[in-house]
Amino acid sequence: MIKRIFAWLSLCIFAVFSLYPMLYVLSVSLRGDNAFQTQSLEIFSSQSTLKNFVVLFTETDFLLWMRNSLFISAVTTLLGVALASTSAYALSRHRFRGRNLMLFSLLASQMFPATMLILPFYIILAKMHLIDNFWGLFLIYSSTALPFCIWQMKAYYDTIPKELEEAAVLDGCSRWMTFYKIILPVSSPALVITALFSFMTSWSEYVIAAVVLQDPELYTLPLGLRSFQASLATQWGLYAAGALIVSVPVLILFISISRYLVSGLTMGSVKG
Amino acid sequence: MTLVLRLVFSVLILCSATTSFAEPVRIQLWHQMIYSHRQVLSEALRQFEKENPDIVIRETYRETEELRSSYQAAAMGNSGPELVFGPSDQIGPFATMGIIQPLDGLLSPEELAQYDPLALPAYEGRHYMLGGTVGNHLMLLYNKKLLPTPPQTTDELIHLGQKLTADLDGDGKIDRYGLVFNYTEPFFFAPFIPAFGEPFMTADFAPRLAQPGLSKTFQFILDLRDKYKIIPKECDYETANALFKQNKAAMLINGDWSWGDYRDAGVDFGIARIPMVSSTGKWPSPLVGTVGYSLNAHFQSPAHKEAALKVLRYLTSASVQKLFTQKVGVMPSLLSLRADAVVKQNPLLQASSSIMAVGLPMPVVPEVRGVWDSLRIQYQKVLAGTLNAEQGAQSAQAMAEAQIQNMNQVIPPDAGALVVKGLVGLLILVLLYLSRNSVVLFFRGFRGPQKFVYFMMLPAFIGIFAVIIYPFFYNIAISFSNFSLRTFQDWSIVGFHNYWEAISDPKFYSLLLKTVVWTVVNVAFHVTLGVFLAVIINQLMPAKAFWRTLLIIPWAVPQYITALTWRGMFNQEYGPINQFLQKFLHLSPVQWLSQPFTAFVACIVTNVWLGFPFMMIVALGGLQAIPQSLYEAAYLDKANAWQRFRHITLPLLAPVMIPAALLGSIWTFNNLNVVWLVSNAGEPGDQTHILVSYVYKAAFNLYRYGYAAAVSVLIFLMLVIWSLSSLRSQYKKETQA
Repeated sequence: MIKRIFAWLSLCIFAVFSLYPMLYVLSVSLRGDNAFQTQSLEIFSSQSTLKNFVVLFTETDFLLWMRNSLFISAVTTLLGVALASTSAYALSRHRFRGRNLMLFSLLASQMFPATMLILPFYIILAKMHLIDNFWGLFLIYSSTALPFCIWQMKAYYDTIPKELEEAAVLDGCSRWMTFYKIILPVSSPALVITALFSFMTSWSEYVIAAVVLQDPELYTLPLGLRSFQASLATQWGLYAAGALIVSVPVLILFISISRYLVSGLTMGSVKG
Repeated sequence: MTLVLRLVFSVLILCSATTSFAEPVRIQLWHQMIYSHRQVLSEALRQFEKENPDIVIRETYRETEELRSSYQAAAMGNSGPELVFGPSDQIGPFATMGIIQPLDGLLSPEELAQYDPLALPAYEGRHYMLGGTVGNHLMLLYNKKLLPTPPQTTDELIHLGQKLTADLDGDGKIDRYGLVFNYTEPFFFAPFIPAFGEPFMTADFAPRLAQPGLSKTFQFILDLRDKYKIIPKECDYETANALFKQNKAAMLINGDWSWGDYRDAGVDFGIARIPMVSSTGKWPSPLVGTVGYSLNAHFQSPAHKEAALKVLRYLTSASVQKLFTQKVGVMPSLLSLRADAVVKQNPLLQASSSIMAVGLPMPVVPEVRGVWDSLRIQYQKVLAGTLNAEQGAQSAQAMAEAQIQNMNQVIPPDAGALVVKGLVGLLILVLLYLSRNSVVLFFRGFRGPQKFVYFMMLPAFIGIFAVIIYPFFYNIAISFSNFSLRTFQDWSIVGFHNYWEAISDPKFYSLLLKTVVWTVVNVAFHVTLGVFLAVIINQLMPAKAFWRTLLIIPWAVPQYITALTWRGMFNQEYGPINQFLQKFLHLSPVQWLSQPFTAFVACIVTNVWLGFPFMMIVALGGLQAIPQSLYEAAYLDKANAWQRFRHITLPLLAPVMIPAALLGSIWTFNNLNVVWLVSNAGEPGDQTHILVSYVYKAAFNLYRYGYAAAVSVLIFLMLVIWSLSSLRSQYKKETQA
């Protein structure tokens, strides 16, 4: 009995802990004229208004940013899933020269401080005329999300018994067909996670987008949101309203796939 | 394969071709104007486009610091906007790097003579910027409802301030302050330095910080806070702004850019000089400068140059200046407009020019950055009580000198340069020799039975290598170079100097220690919380999916939003955390963000919040894979809950959690976002940095790219060694089992 109470109590505390910051953002977004600061702990008050949301949709380019972000994230996700699922399969099922080195280099690619890569990124993209071009972002986003995605797809493939493919090969399937028709469908939880990761990378990335995109017509949501934040005069109400709306699609995505999350996110053992 | 490549390239070419098809000349303008000014700018530019159909202008907003770093990056790639708009102190660094050009040859001396000299800051005898306004200076704003006339001297200020600082509702908390301002920023207290002593830079732009003027200024502000208690304990720009707007502060020190904001908020305010220092009889001198336009050093074509000049002339013309003055009430820089009705009939502008009369011109040399930075760092230490005012002034001077020396240093190549080049050459030869068979085998593999594997692998790895490899080697190259402010366009390999400097600096080790603490604490919390919650959810709770979803929320929120939200929550005056401590636990408010320890704790709390859901999900996955029968067997053996956890759950969960923790530790070690945003770039006094944020600051704030790259390479090496050794020990354990 004590155990139950303890469990409920700690779970409730953590639920509040994880929920409260978002409620705080909500309360800021509902306050009227740019009142970031009040000394009340209430979330809704008599002065709550939807004004910030109305302004956001009618007077700013929020919908344009939303469209750009959705487009970029969709393409990045597709690219990420296609590339990660194929190469992880090769890494999981085949022993070949340089395999271990490749696996380690995936991990190593996360180790160099990303901020120092911005300057050379800019130089390459400028040379390839990909500044102010979504292609530059597709390239960088799908590649930066790939190492983790490959790593975790491989771990998932490792859990699929080999007999499955052997049976398919006996039935006369080609290797591609085996992969496509047999392995991919049973890997859907891991595919969903890969998709989620690619989506999140591109949906919330700010630093690289700020370097690559200079035309306000091409702005993504994070860039747009940052423009409410001036050095000495931030539009906090608008910013909070925007932040909330930016978080909503990811939240919905998480909620709708949370059952896959548990079964798909096998970090796997190192033995491989 | 070639077909695919050709396809990719034709798509790429098509994309780039479409952008260059546009017929009108496209001019880009990057600016950092605040919201209300932006709208006037856009109105003016649309008007210009109507009159000049052959020119299209795209204006892009960037936050000041970001504008600077992204303009530098853009200029490196020989591109970037034709026009860049910003505060006058950015021209020093830009001109030194050779990425903006002097206007002297482009605009005639007669043209330039029409402007207030303050709008034409000179750097090394030439003019790199033309401002449409002058001012950007600080003054005293006072709420006319609370005090009809502003104080003239600091004694009056203190007297009035004490009278006005009050606990109105009697709950033991101060609800109204006599004076508020962003006093942790050096820019906001700089006006007092010359009034207590001498200007903080000498005529030839050397720092003069070890002077009584500075320590007296420090002491003055400490007294305002601790002795007279007329300013809040913690006060950043936003807090000061909000207090003044809500009539909860009688006086405020702020700049001319803020007037519009207070007018819109309905505050009845007046402006005046910052009160005269009673002990010396000198007026504080706000720094007066301009915010203006500069021209890129490179133009794509003469047509671009011509168009950019046209835009520059238009934006500084009488009509546009008048528009700005009318709409947002700034002081025009054209001398002819000073007699115009828009200026004459604006009482604020009239008062403002009397304030400017005691001002000093804003220094524009790059060295001033070192002065600001060291002032900020030492001053925040004084505020936090780790140094006294006298020590603060001394160490600010020492630090400013060191920073300026680092910034201006051009390291000549030494013998190390030859060694580096030789080693790299040798390394390439050795690698080629060793891999000659592997390479042949690798390419042969495309035809052999492994063909399928290669084609599956290749696309992803081409992508990764294309994006990671070049930047990686580029960084290695600049880590051996003298790439910095003075060698922005022509850096060269100089040897091991940057590495030597990094590893012989005790600061590197203390930062490393702090980073390790940061990583260990965070990952420990992530993993234990994750496992704890997963076990509870998995074993005890009904509605697993509900709890899982609720606890996953922190993961789903983009990091930059999280970081800024938590920064707001830790605010001393308004943050809900302190409100909670006061209302429910009856504790006194904690100055979270102005003490080094608590600021670091704030960063850790934020990052713990961010990271535990990932570990929880991994742990949940691991728990589901543990067969229930094991627990039943243990139950029969009368094992208690702890024993079951210790002997079944933990060992079976470890293989899943260890790789996750390894990956988590790498991510945490290199997590810039949280530290940078929550502590506002390392505040207080640069004492909340971890290695990556220190690297970021060295590269983008202090222009020491070579040094920053060397530290990055060291970080990389440490992480490689750490992960290799932990992978190896894990592998050993697993193969033994």
